[in-house]
Amino acid sequence: MTNRERALNLLHYKPVDRLPAVHFGYWSELLQEWAAEGHIPKELADRWYDGGEADREIDKIIGWDFNWSRVFSGNTGLSPRFEHKVLETLPDGGQRVQNGDGIIQRIYPGVVSIPAEDDYLLKDREAFTTLFLPKMQYTPDRVNTSFFSSFNEQVYNKTDSPVGLHLGSVMGEIRNITSVVGMSYLMYDEDETLFADIVDAYAEMQYRCAEAVLETGARFDFAHYWEDICFNSGPLLSPELFDELCAKHYKRRNDLCRRYGIDLISLDCDGVTEQLLPTWFENGVNIMFPIEIGTWGDQFEPARKKFGPGMLGVGGMDKTAFRKDRAAVDRELERMRRLASLGGFIPCPDHRLMPGSRFDLVCYYAEEIKKITP
Amino acid sequence: MTIFEEISEKLQKGKAKDVAALVADALREGQAPEAILNQGLVAGMNLVGEKFRNNEIYVPEVLVAARAMNAGLTALRPSLESAGVKPVGKAVICTVEGDMHDIGKNLVRMMIEGQGIECIDLGVSVPPARVVEAVKDSGAKLVCLSALLTTTMMGQKAVIDALKEAGLRDQVKVMVGGAPVTQAFADEIGADCYTLDAASAAKAARAFFPD
Repeated sequence: MTNRERALNLLHYKPVDRLPAVHFGYWSELLQEWAAEGHIPKELADRWYDGGEADREIDKIIGWDFNWSRVFSGNTGLSPRFEHKVLETLPDGGQRVQNGDGIIQRIYPGVVSIPAEDDYLLKDREAFTTLFLPKMQYTPDRVNTSFFSSFNEQVYNKTDSPVGLHLGSVMGEIRNITSVVGMSYLMYDEDETLFADIVDAYAEMQYRCAEAVLETGARFDFAHYWEDICFNSGPLLSPELFDELCAKHYKRRNDLCRRYGIDLISLDCDGVTEQLLPTWFENGVNIMFPIEIGTWGDQFEPARKKFGPGMLGVGGMDKTAFRKDRAAVDRELERMRRLASLGGFIPCPDHRLMPGSRFDLVCYYAEEIKKITP
Repeated sequence: MTIFEEISEKLQKGKAKDVAALVADALREGQAPEAILNQGLVAGMNLVGEKFRNNEIYVPEVLVAARAMNAGLTALRPSLESAGVKPVGKAVICTVEGDMHDIGKNLVRMMIEGQGIECIDLGVSVPPARVVEAVKDSGAKLVCLSALLTTTMMGQKAVIDALKEAGLRDQVKVMVGGAPVTQAFADEIGADCYTLDAASAAKAARAFFPD
């Protein structure tokens, strides 16, 4: 069987010869560690990105079958982005910068963590109308139609692994251009329709990008969203408000995908996702990903029990085991065996592999997971 | 409805301008600044914390309520100072060295301030020596340490070690929190308290300052 057949069969409850060894990439610091230890060439670490050529080369070295996050799309962000500029050099060696999303951040050399957000440009109706709305418009140059017109020959038919259409994000991108604080204030702005107008404008552009890609005839095995709108206690906004603002946009985009024959729609959301699952599932999203059990305690089985066999999963393997020992990896392999036996589930580390992950343990997992036949 | 209840209600709804106006009204009515603080603003934030703990409200509602609390405090502060009302205690708060995440830390700070505790916020990626210095300078009796990454959580231990080295460990309570932090980790590094969320952190912080 090919990797594509294995993945699609597993997610359609059909038989497979074995589980595929699937991953979701790495923190770049880990690849540099592995390069320094001589496990992978540094040039692969330097030019790695999800699903790229370097990613596939590293797959061969480790023994992975494929990265789930090999996805393609038009430009679904602000276009053009804001100019990235340094606003101030700070006395402690950091810099205050404005990023491409219009967020003012503090960055420090050598600090790996995400930057601290100080301020944001999208504060009111005027900023939305004059600065952001023009950057949220759909224009034909957002989709490289010549690339997608030859996508089947150039990409789809050349790989034996699943490839996805990236549908963008209904709320996560809004969070990116407003910050968590700004998003919260905008939800309760005196201009009561402002936040919904921002969500609607962004969603319309992303829908049209997906439509333009699909109209080229490009084939995809699944569609995929990125959201990251939950944390350790649950969602970053109320499930009711999330549903009110977002449900119609998921449904519209997912219906579009199904009209083009794409029946697998995954959604990447970190944190504890339970409270948002109804909105996603009832509006066509059917694959939980990456199901972060290690860091946040997110889980697949309760969702399967609640929503039934239509709820599928990719992920759920506690990646922190790779920083421990073989016994910890064995426990995860056993847990993955049990989860895979439910059907409609593909084991995959529950997020990007982090610094300190042992190369030998990752190779061991990739080898052993392939020995399991669900 | 009393004016205190009105302040509390508007604060819970995140109506910053209304809260500031009501505080000004209450002062004009001759209400004691301490009563406005405790029965209006702090009472409102307590209810916000409780609802957040119970998943009845979410981060945005807490943030807009905290903004309203700040608006109320700004209007009230001169009268509090004139009346000689002191905060119930002082805390130093930060995200530990190497970690730039500040949302969780800011939420905890807002909720702790909502308990009438003065917070000295050192910001993000703070070296242990700066925490020690801030404790010495301020006389704070509580240190709150946030970390969101498995790669930075050991920074909480580094602060505890630095406090020990400076001979300050017995003078302060240390609270830790953040996504990867657990009670077991808190015990392992010798912290005094771990809480799962910002509202619980505020409640625990208040307990360190008995009336």
